[in-house]
Amino acid sequence: MTAQLGTAADTPVTPAGVSTPIAGRGQLALAWSRLRKDRMALLAGTVILLLVAIALAAPLIAQVTGHQPDEQFRQTGLTSAGLPVGPSREFWFGTDNLGRDVFIRVVYGARISLLVGVLSTVLAVAAGLVIGLTAGYLGGAVDSTLARFMDLVLSFPLLLFAIALVSVVGPSVPLAILVIAFFSWAAVGRIVRGLALSIKEREYIEAARALGASNRRIMLIEVLPNLVAPVIVYTTLLIPVAIVFEATLSFLGLGVLPPTPSWGNILSDSLQYYQVAWWFVLFPGLALLLTTLAFNLFGDSVRDALDPGATQLAGTR
Amino acid sequence: MYTRRGRAVGASIATVLALALAGCGSSNSGSTGAASSPKQGGTLKLLGASDVDHLDTASAYYTTSYTLERAFSRQLFSYPATADVSKAINPVADVATEIPTTANGGISADGKTYTIHLRSGVRWNTQPVRAVTAGDFVRGLQRLCNPVSPVGAPGYYTNTIVGMKQFCDGFAKVPGNAKAMANYINTHQISGVTAPNDTTIVFKLNQPASDFLNILALPFASAAPVEYLRYVPDDATFRQHTFSDGPYEITKYSANKEIDLDRNSAWEQTADPIRHQYVDSIQIVQGQSDPGTVQQQIQAGTADMEWDTVVPTASIPALQASNDARLGIFPALDTNPFLIFNFQSPNNSGALKKLQVRQALEYAIDKVAIGQIYGGPKLNTPLDQVIPPGNVGYQPINLYPTPDNRGDPGKCKQMLAAAGYPNGLKLNYVYRNAGNHPAVTQSVQADLKKCGVTVKLIPQTPADFYGKYLANPSGAQQGLWDIAAPGWVPDWYGNNGRAIVEPLFDGRTYGPNSVDYGDYNSSKVNSLIDQALAQPTADKAAPLWHRADMQIMKDAAFIPFQTQKTAVYHSSRVQNTIFFPFAQNYDLTQVWLQ
Repeated sequence: MTAQLGTAADTPVTPAGVSTPIAGRGQLALAWSRLRKDRMALLAGTVILLLVAIALAAPLIAQVTGHQPDEQFRQTGLTSAGLPVGPSREFWFGTDNLGRDVFIRVVYGARISLLVGVLSTVLAVAAGLVIGLTAGYLGGAVDSTLARFMDLVLSFPLLLFAIALVSVVGPSVPLAILVIAFFSWAAVGRIVRGLALSIKEREYIEAARALGASNRRIMLIEVLPNLVAPVIVYTTLLIPVAIVFEATLSFLGLGVLPPTPSWGNILSDSLQYYQVAWWFVLFPGLALLLTTLAFNLFGDSVRDALDPGATQLAGTR
Repeated sequence: MYTRRGRAVGASIATVLALALAGCGSSNSGSTGAASSPKQGGTLKLLGASDVDHLDTASAYYTTSYTLERAFSRQLFSYPATADVSKAINPVADVATEIPTTANGGISADGKTYTIHLRSGVRWNTQPVRAVTAGDFVRGLQRLCNPVSPVGAPGYYTNTIVGMKQFCDGFAKVPGNAKAMANYINTHQISGVTAPNDTTIVFKLNQPASDFLNILALPFASAAPVEYLRYVPDDATFRQHTFSDGPYEITKYSANKEIDLDRNSAWEQTADPIRHQYVDSIQIVQGQSDPGTVQQQIQAGTADMEWDTVVPTASIPALQASNDARLGIFPALDTNPFLIFNFQSPNNSGALKKLQVRQALEYAIDKVAIGQIYGGPKLNTPLDQVIPPGNVGYQPINLYPTPDNRGDPGKCKQMLAAAGYPNGLKLNYVYRNAGNHPAVTQSVQADLKKCGVTVKLIPQTPADFYGKYLANPSGAQQGLWDIAAPGWVPDWYGNNGRAIVEPLFDGRTYGPNSVDYGDYNSSKVNSLIDQALAQPTADKAAPLWHRADMQIMKDAAFIPFQTQKTAVYHSSRVQNTIFFPFAQNYDLTQVWLQ
C-alpha cells in the first residue's frame, strides 16, 4: 500500500479550493491530496517523523550529551541522600533514582515505544487481514470457526493474561510485541471479515468467479485492495494503543527488562519520587502523551481523508 | 520456616524497603515524646496494606503480627519498652516473676534445667475471667507443631527442649481436625516441659543454651487457653475467637480489611511490668498499599501510625531537613539486602565455587550507591561482615576494603583474570520485581559490568523469588540463578547467633527449607556454630560467633552491603512513641494520644 501512496503522491495536486479535472484518480490519491491540505495532519505527521528521527539518532544524541542510557552518575546525578537531581545544563531533563540521565533515557525509550508500537501493529494487522479475509470470503464452517476464535480473543482479560504469561515465560521485548499483537489482531480481523462478507457479494466478484479466477486470486486481487483504506485507518489508530499497552506492560514490570529504558519503565521508576522529582515523571509522561496524541490525530486525519463512510470503493489498481 | 521472619519482610510487597532495625544512636530523633504525662483514651489508628500472616500466636511470623501480638498476648519473658537499644534487645520477665539465673536457682548448675515461676494477677478475658497458668504455657508450646498451621521456626524449640522433637514428629501424623489435635495434646507430653503446679513451669534442655530466654520471648511461646483446643489452629473460626491476656483484646477481625482492639478488662497494670493501657482502642485498617498515601494520611492526621508500609525513601530527606519531630530514625541491627552466591551453579564452569572468583566480586560493589537507594548515608552504613552491630559476636571486620566503600572495579577485574577469567563472567541474577529491589539490582549490575561481569536479569515476584529460585535446590543445581540479593531480619536481636549465622551459613541444613540458599558449607564454620550454641552465656559464645563471621568472610561466602536504619512516622497527636525493634514499629502498648 505504500507503493500506491507513493505513486499517488507523484501526481500533481493543485492548491486547496481548486477542483482538479484530472479524471481516473484512485481513492488513495484523492485521500492523499485531502491529507496534505489538513494542517493538523501535517503537524501530527511532522511530530511522528521527528520521533522516528530521534529514535533512529539516539546513539548520536547520546554521543553529543556524553551520557549513555544506562550510565549511572552517582556523584553528580544524585544527592547524597540518593534523590534525583533536577534539570541542569548537564542533565537537561534531570536524573532518575539511580543518577541516570532522564533525557537520554526518554530518547532511547522512543526506540522501544516505536519498535513495539509499529511492529506489534504490523503483526496484528497482517494476522487480522489474513484471518479476517479468509473467514469473510470463504464463509461457512471456516467463517464460524474463525469468527468464534476472534470473539474468544476479544473476550480475554488481556492484562491478566499478559501478567500470567509473562510470569511463566519471563518478560522480554519480543514477548511484549507478541502479546500486544495477539490482543490487537482480532479487532482488525472482525472489521476485515465484515467488509469481505459484503464485498464478496458484489457483481464484479461474481464476474471474476465466472471468468474462472481462483479463490486466492479473487481474495488477493479483487477483495484485498478494497480493504486497504479502512485498514490504514485502523493501523494508525492501533499504533498509539500498542504504544500505551507497551508502556503499561513495562510499567507493571512485564515488558522491557531494566536497565533498558522504555517510557513505561521510567514512569514506573518515577512513581516513588513524583513528590520530590517532578522531572522524573513529567518528561517521559509528556513523551508518551505527545506520541499517542500525534498518532491519534494523524489517524483521525487519515480517516477523514479516506472517508470510510464511502464504501463504494472503486478498485484502485 | 517458609514464613521465616526475614522472608516475611521481604515477601510482603508492601514492606517496600524492609528497612532495618534500630535502636538509639547519635541520630536518634529523640521523638520518644515523654514530655507530657500519660493520657487515657482515644482510638489509635493504624493504616497499611495487608493482613497479618496468621492470627494464631503459634504461627504468626510477620513483623506486623508481632506489632499486634504485643497488645493481646503475653509470654514468660519479653522485651522491655525502652529507647535504650542495648536494653531493648535483652529479655525481661513478663509473666515470669524474674529472670532465672544459676544464682536464684532458676537455672541448674549444668545449665540444662530452667525452673520458672509465674506472676499472679495475669488473667484471660474468658467468661468468667480466669488466671493464666503454667499449663497454658505448656499448651502454647504443644500447639507449635500442630499439623495444620505449625510454627515457622520449629528448630528453635526442637533443637533445644528435651522431647520436643519426638512430640512434634508424633503430632505431624495426627489428622488435621480440632478433635484429633486436642486429643493428641491432652494425651501426649513434651518430656522436657512440665508444670508441677499452676504457677511453676520446668524446662529441660538437651544442652545449655544461652539464648533460651530469647527463644521463650518469641511470641510463638505465648500462653494458649484451653479454649483454643476447640478450633483448628488459625482457621477462620479460630480468628473470630482469639483470647487475650494482654492489655487489649481483638474485638473485630475482618480478613484483609480491618482489625480492631479494645481495652481488655481482665488485664491489670499491676500484673504487667512491660505494657500499658493508655488508648481506649486500636483500629488497624488495611488495603492501602501505597506507602506515599499512608504517609500523607499520617501527615494530615487522618491516621496515626503505619501498619506494614514504610516511610517512602524519597520523603525522608525532606522530613529530616525540616526536622519533622514526627519522624523517628532508629539505628540498624539488620543486614539488608546482601548478595548471595549459588555455590551449586554449573554456569561459567562452576566459577562461583572458586574462592578467588568470589573474593574478586567482593571488591566490585559500590556500597555507598546501594545506601543511596535506601535514603543515603544518614540512614545506611556500609557493612563488610555477617554480623551487624548490636548482635552477639560483632567486631568490625573488613577483609575487602575499597576506597570510600565505593568499590574497586580494577582490583576485581585483576583478581578475576588471576582466577582464570580474564574475559569476565556471565551471571544469572534473579531479583524481586518490587520495591527498591529493581534499583539495587541495576546498581549491582552496573558495578559488575565495570568488573567485566555480564549479568542477565531475571525478575520474579517475591513469592517466586524464594519459592522457584532461592529455596529450590534443584533449580540451583541447574544454574537457574547465580547471584541474588535477599534480605534478613533476625528473629531477635542481641544474643542471636542462632537467628543469623546458623540459619544463613550452616551448610548441613541445606535443602528446600534452608535459608542457606547458596549452599555455603564449611566444616570450620559448622563446628564453630555447634560450639557457640553450646556455651552457657552469650559472653562465652561471642568470640566463637566472631570467628565464624571471620571464616565466612574469608571464604567470601556472600557480599554484605549495609545495615539500614529504620524510619518510622507517627501523627502529631501520638505521644510516648517507643520503638519496638522486634516488630520494627512503635510499641502499641506504650503510646497515648494528645
